[in-house]
This record gives sequence, C-alpha cells and structure tokens, in this order.
Amino acid sequence: MRHGFYLKMSLTNLRKNARLYLPQMFTGAGLTAVFYILLTLAMDERLKNVRGGSYLPTIMPMGTFVVAILSVILIFYTNSFLMKQRKREFGFYNVLGLEKRHVGRILFWESTLSTLASVISGLLLGVLLYKLCALLICRILQVDSVLGFYHVSATSIVPSALFFILVYLAAFLFNRIQITRLNPLELLQSTHTGEKEPRIKWLLLIIGVLSLGAGYYLAVTTDNPLNALNLFFFAALLVILGTYCLFVTGSIALLKFLKGRKSFYYHPRHMISVSGLMYRMKQNAMGLASISILAAMVLVMVSTTASMYTGVKDTLIRKYPHDFYVSASYDTESEQNREIPFEDLREIIYQAARQNHLEIADDCQVTYFACAFNKKQENEFSTNHSENITQIVQCFFVTANEYERLTGTAVSLEKDQLAICSSATKSDIFAVGDTLTMAGKTFSCAQELTSFPVNMSAYSLVNCYGIVVSDEDVFNEIFDFQEKAYKDAASHVNKQLVFDFADEKAVEKSYDNFTDAMYEGIRDYVDSQPESTGGYGTVVDSLWDTMEYLYGMYGTLLFLGILLSLVFLFATALIIYYKQISEGYEDGERFQIMQKVGMSSDEIRGTIRSQILMVFFLPLMVAAMHMAFAFPMLTKLLRVLFQSDEQLFLLCTVASLGVFAMIYVAIYGMTARVYYRIVK
Amino acid sequence: MTILEVQSLKKIYTTRFGGNQVQALSQVSFSVEQGEYVAIMGESGSGKTTLLNILAALDKPTGGQVLLDGKPLSAINEKELAAFRRKNLGFVFQEFNLLDTFSVRDNILLPLVLGNTSVTEMEKRLAPVAEQLGIASHLDKYPYEISGGQKQRTAVARAIITEPRLILADEPTGALDSKSTDDLLQVFQQIYSMGQTILMVTHSTKAASHANRVLFIKDGEVFHQIYRGGCNNEQMYQKIANTLTILATGGDHR
Repeated sequence: MRHGFYLKMSLTNLRKNARLYLPQMFTGAGLTAVFYILLTLAMDERLKNVRGGSYLPTIMPMGTFVVAILSVILIFYTNSFLMKQRKREFGFYNVLGLEKRHVGRILFWESTLSTLASVISGLLLGVLLYKLCALLICRILQVDSVLGFYHVSATSIVPSALFFILVYLAAFLFNRIQITRLNPLELLQSTHTGEKEPRIKWLLLIIGVLSLGAGYYLAVTTDNPLNALNLFFFAALLVILGTYCLFVTGSIALLKFLKGRKSFYYHPRHMISVSGLMYRMKQNAMGLASISILAAMVLVMVSTTASMYTGVKDTLIRKYPHDFYVSASYDTESEQNREIPFEDLREIIYQAARQNHLEIADDCQVTYFACAFNKKQENEFSTNHSENITQIVQCFFVTANEYERLTGTAVSLEKDQLAICSSATKSDIFAVGDTLTMAGKTFSCAQELTSFPVNMSAYSLVNCYGIVVSDEDVFNEIFDFQEKAYKDAASHVNKQLVFDFADEKAVEKSYDNFTDAMYEGIRDYVDSQPESTGGYGTVVDSLWDTMEYLYGMYGTLLFLGILLSLVFLFATALIIYYKQISEGYEDGERFQIMQKVGMSSDEIRGTIRSQILMVFFLPLMVAAMHMAFAFPMLTKLLRVLFQSDEQLFLLCTVASLGVFAMIYVAIYGMTARVYYRIVK
Repeated sequence: MTILEVQSLKKIYTTRFGGNQVQALSQVSFSVEQGEYVAIMGESGSGKTTLLNILAALDKPTGGQVLLDGKPLSAINEKELAAFRRKNLGFVFQEFNLLDTFSVRDNILLPLVLGNTSVTEMEKRLAPVAEQLGIASHLDKYPYEISGGQKQRTAVARAIITEPRLILADEPTGALDSKSTDDLLQVFQQIYSMGQTILMVTHSTKAASHANRVLFIKDGEVFHQIYRGGCNNEQMYQKIANTLTILATGGDHR
C-alpha cells in the first residue's frame, strides 16, 4: 500500500472527527501563540528599555513556564480523551485486516497533520497578536508605543515550535504504544458494565469539612497584614484540600441524603438528576474541584493585580506627601553631633534640576526621629522586646513647631498632649481623647491628623503612627528614653530635605537625567570635602522612583495575570467541552430508555438542562465563595503591597468575577449545544 | 371488548432526500380483545418492529390508524403523548432497557414517579408486584448485580406497575437463556391469567406457543393467524412450527 493511502485516510479521519479534533487543535494553537508571545516579550530589547519595562525579562519567563506546564497537561488530557473515543475505531481497522503498524502509520499522519496545523497556525496567531500585546503592555506601563511594525522574533519562534512539537511527539509515542497493546476483541465487545453506587468516605468528608472550615476561619479572622502574608498560602492549601475532599465525597453525601428523603427524591426531575449526578460526581469530582480552584486562582490573580495596578497613584500620593526626600546621616556615634551641610546639598540638587530644565517648586528641611515600640496593650507603647511582630509599631516624632512649619497648619498642644496620624487599621487608630502611655508618661490624644509630613512608606508592614509633640523638651525626652532603652540599636534624629517639583509632565520626561546628575553632583561634593567633615551617607527616596517601580512591576504582573487568566479560562472550557461530549454519548442511551418508559422530550430536555447547569455552575459558585472568604485576607495582603484601598479592591473583585462569569456562561452556551446535539 | 384495533396500517420509509422508498408495512389490520394474549411472529425485516413502534406511538404510520379503546392514537397531541404512553402502555424490551444508575426499586418505580404518584401509593403498589415477580429481595440491588432473568422480571414489574391497558413486549426472551425464558414465560402466563392484555412480538416459537393467538407477518402484511382453541402448549408449539414451515417454503396461503 502506498503512503498516499495513509495520508488520505488520516485526512478523512481528521475531517470525520472534527468535533473531537478541532478543539484540541485550537487549544494547541492558542497555547503556542501565548507561549510565543510571552517568550518574545521576555526577550524584546526595545520593550526592556522603556520605563518600567525592566520587569519583563524577569516576570515573563515565569509566565512562559506556567504556560509550558499547562500545555503539557492539557495536550495529554485531550490526547487521552481522543484515544479513548477512537480506540473502538482502531480496533475495527485491526479486525478488518490492517496490521498494527498500518494503524500506527495512519495515526502518525494524523498526528503530523494536526501538530503542523496547530503549531503553524499558533505561531502565525502569536506573530499577529504580539503587536497587540506589546501595545497593551506599553499602555499598561503608561509609555508611548515603541513598536512601529510587526515584529517576528526567530529567537522565540524556534523554541516555541520545538517545544510544542516535542510535546505532541511525546503524546504520539504514548498513543503508538497503546495501539501496540490494543486487543481488538476486547475493544469491539466493550460491554456496558454497570458501576457501583459510590460510597461516602467519612474520613475524607471530615477532613474536607475541617480543612475548608479552618482555611475560611484563617482567612476571615487574620487581622494583621504580616500574619496574612505568612498564613495566606497555608490557608489557600487548606481550602484547596477541603475543596477536593468535599467535591469527591461531600457531594455524594449530600446526594445520598437527598435520595434518602423519599418525598423529595421521588419526583420526576429530582429522581433522575440526583441519581445521574451521583455517578457523574464519581467520575468528575476531581475535574470539577480543579475547575473551581483554577477559577478561584484566576479571580485572585486578576482582582489583586488589577487593584494594585489601578491603586498605584492613590497609594503613592498617600505615602508620599512630597515628591522627593533626601536624608543624610553619619554612620558612627562619634560623628553624631557634626552638622551636615544641608545648604550645600540643597544647592547641588537645585543645580541638577536646572541643568535638566526641571523646576523645583518648594523645598524644606524636616527634623524628626523614628523608632519602634512594643504596643502590648491598647494604650501603652513600651520598649520591651517583643517576639510577636504584630505588636510592633513604628512611630515618627516631630515637634509642633516643625509640623506647623512643614504643613502650614498650627497645632496647639499642652505638654501632655499629642496629635496622632495613624496608618493602622480601624481598631488600632488613636482618636481624640484616647490616652497613650509612653516613655514613662501618659499623654492624651488631642487631635487626629489625616496626613503627616514625614514619609512613612518604608514601614508599611507594621502599623505606623505619626506623632506631633508639644515642644522640643518632650521630643528630647522621648528620644533620650528610647536611646537609653535600645542602646546600640537606638534611632538617630533624622534630618531630611524635602522637595516638590513644579511640573509633573516635565518630570516624566527628564527625571532619569536629573537623578543621574544629582547623584553625580553629591558624590563629587562629598569626595571634595576634607576628611573631618565628610563621611556621611545620603539616601534618596522619591515618589517617582517608587512609581516607576510599582507601575513596572504591577503593570507587568497585571498583564501576565490577564493573559494567564485567559489561558486558564480556555483550559477550563476545553475540559468542560470534552466532558460534555463524553457524557453526551452515555446520557444519550439513558434518555432513550426514559423516553420509551414514558418521558416526554420536554421533560427530558428540562432534566438535561438542570443537570448540566448544576455540574457547570457549581465550580463557578464555589470559586465565588472562595473569593468571598479570601477577600478579607487579601485586603490585608494588599496593604503589605502598598495598596490599602478596600473599596477599589472590592470593585476589582466584583468586576473580575463578573467578566469571568460572562465568559463562563458563553462557554456553557457553546458546549451545551454540542451536548444536546449528541443526546438527541 | 376490543382494546386495540389496527386498521389497514401502512408505513413507508423514505430516505432523507426522498430518493428510495421502502415499504415496511403495506396493509396490516387486526384487533386485540380485552384480556387476550397475542403473539406476533415474523422473520427479520417483516415489519414487526415498525408495527410495535407505531403501536407504542413512538412512530407515525403513513396510512391507516390505530385505535386504543376506540380512540385513535393520531388524535393525541405531542404533549400528552408521553403521559398517554405512561398510563396506558407497558413495555418489555429484548435488551431490558433498565437504567444502570437506578436500583431495581427505582427502575420499577420510574413510570409512577414520572406520573407524580405519591410515595405511599407507590409503595403500596410495589410490594405485591415485586412479590409476584420474585424480585422482592433484590429491590436495593443495581442492574449490574442481578442476572438477566431478574433484569427482565424487573422490566416486567416496571411495565405492569402502572396497571396499563396493554403490555407491549418486544422479543422479551431474546436475550435470555432457556431457564430464564421458561421463568419469564411463566410470569407472562401468570399476569395474563390475572386479566392483563399482552401483545408480544417474537421470533421464538416457544414464546409464541404460550399465547392464545398467534399472528404471522410477512412482507408487511398479516399473512396468517392461528388460535389456541383447546390446545395445550405442546400442541400449540406444533401448530406454530407447521405454519412457520409453510411460510418458509413459500406457501401462498391466505
């Protein structure tokens, strides 16, 4: 027999089995495209050099890795499904006189054709969509597009093509071995053996309830952001474990309970749904649990990255009342009392700004000190050592005079009064009238401040308090107290230069050049000083550096989050699609019997619909429930990451849930139609 | 009293694009009296299954009509059809057609559940039927756990629990061994003796020999019929066998 025969035969097979093969090829193509896009984004030199683009080479490879793993899983999943559906057909060939190596040859051509089709179309799709993705990235990073033409990257085409061809080759070899082991008689007879009614595994059920409960409990009760950071993964693991256990055995326990209640069970629709679901759950519990968890992950990923990204500006404005902070201090004790030539530094910075056509609108010098306390009781800050990080608070002290000079707002305070700005959660806020014992004295809170002139951003992990004291004496008293208590670890009085730029647009353009010039100027100046006055270090903390850092990182994460969510969604869709098809064939027989026994086609359709709806929307509901319980914990986590706008996060969560549900419903519509067609 | 009346039934199958026509039934007429046990025999392709499907209202005739209790099936609209079938007809199939996801009990109760019968009523009806068919101890088992004979008795139980006007059996012994066949025919005999009307389509001379009338179908027509008269089962068997021989050798008896 000529090769042309096999080629023709496999072409016919592919066409005949389009319902099975097309989704697999589409998925393969989509995955190839995403893989190519992520790889190219990681390596694109032009994108790397835009503002915030430096995170692409570090974050995108992680995404590529995730897609690679998912691709292997999905391709093998669809492959095993296809083989299961077609084994009978191959058995037939065998019986009709084709040898196994001939069947193998047909399979080889089928694999080659479908692999080529999906890899080539995937790469084409990737090249086409790459520009769109690059534009999106530029948009997200808020820079002008740097790409003017279609970009085809050979350095990522080759590895992408190679990777997917290898995966498909592995799948083919796997199939080929299965063909060798094939026993045609067994296949042809493939009798319909009944399955046992699943049993309730009580131990699993108990484990499931406990771990889900514990996970939810942790998520809801964890108050401190740092604890949230530590416990989140633990809680997530508990919830994942609980989800699997409950899907596997909890669903069956529930169905058995329903079945036990005769007045409920012996009702046309209930009876068929309950016993149908019982078997379906047995086969699909793992798949459904996986879908729920994937969906929950997608939701967490998108809602957090979206809210972090959209919240960057607000967060920054809150954390940085001014554009630019330069602080300087000596390293050693003996140099403590030397004056730092702030006037000279200020002049250098102005000069650097002038060189780059930047106008500094305002500047001032701040004197404050910051130290940590142990807040072991509501109203007491002590210097005792604390093992419990949640009790640590960071305080920033300024005098009333300093506060007025910096903010232009006067605060009149008695010696035993304080004005307090809290960055803490509600329960830890100091309100007017609250007392605070500190440094052996008891103060009362006379005023609640909404902003504080000192930048507290570096300490966002713990609760921070900006505290205004009445005068120099109280300031020194508290300072001395902590110096004595903490000894070598005590804080210094910090002096800071604070600047505000006049024009934001100009800053965006020439900020990098400005900082370069400034650093160079300061370095030259310090080097030119004699030994006796030099030797101090300067630290620059700037709204603009942080903004670039945050937009770069969160923007890249957001992009990856969206792309991976899409991939996960389509993976989910694919799994569901194949499930529907395989179940469609089984259910078709069942419904035929029911029709013969006296069920109308309307009743049958209604039953089918409620059954599909249950199976389909259960994961979505579970994912939404997980998300609801994770919400409090995620808000805490976001605080660690500079994002404390709860409302915004809620909005992002609801929006991503909405979009997710819409896409999910669309997938449902498409797969349900295929299912109906099969059942009919 | 006549329960079922079939009047010059005709069925022509047409291929999808109207090309070929196949005549499955050309001119079938007969009637079944209340409490009768009728067997219909014929070779493969003689139109038995088509006839049964039309009687079950699963298929529509091209010509002629079927009257059940004097009412034409064609007068029942699509929506009421399922309920009509459930109430008036009981089915026993060659392949049992039990649902593998249901226990024996649920399989039997299915038609009652579909008819929204109350739980107490269902239980009241189930007990004697299960007892009569000897499956009372298997009610909580699943189809795959019981033998073929037990499966078929379950199917019979499902058919008679609604107390239908007519039981339609399609090759009920086709998938059974000889022992189970004897048992099942015994069961049919029993429910027949209780006044149940049965119409059975079969290949098996032995199965047909239990009926009190046998119709022979050939080429889409009722070719011949024989009555039991005073014969016992063996004599009836002989009569049927003789008729089949004549049929096979191409007798043109009418």
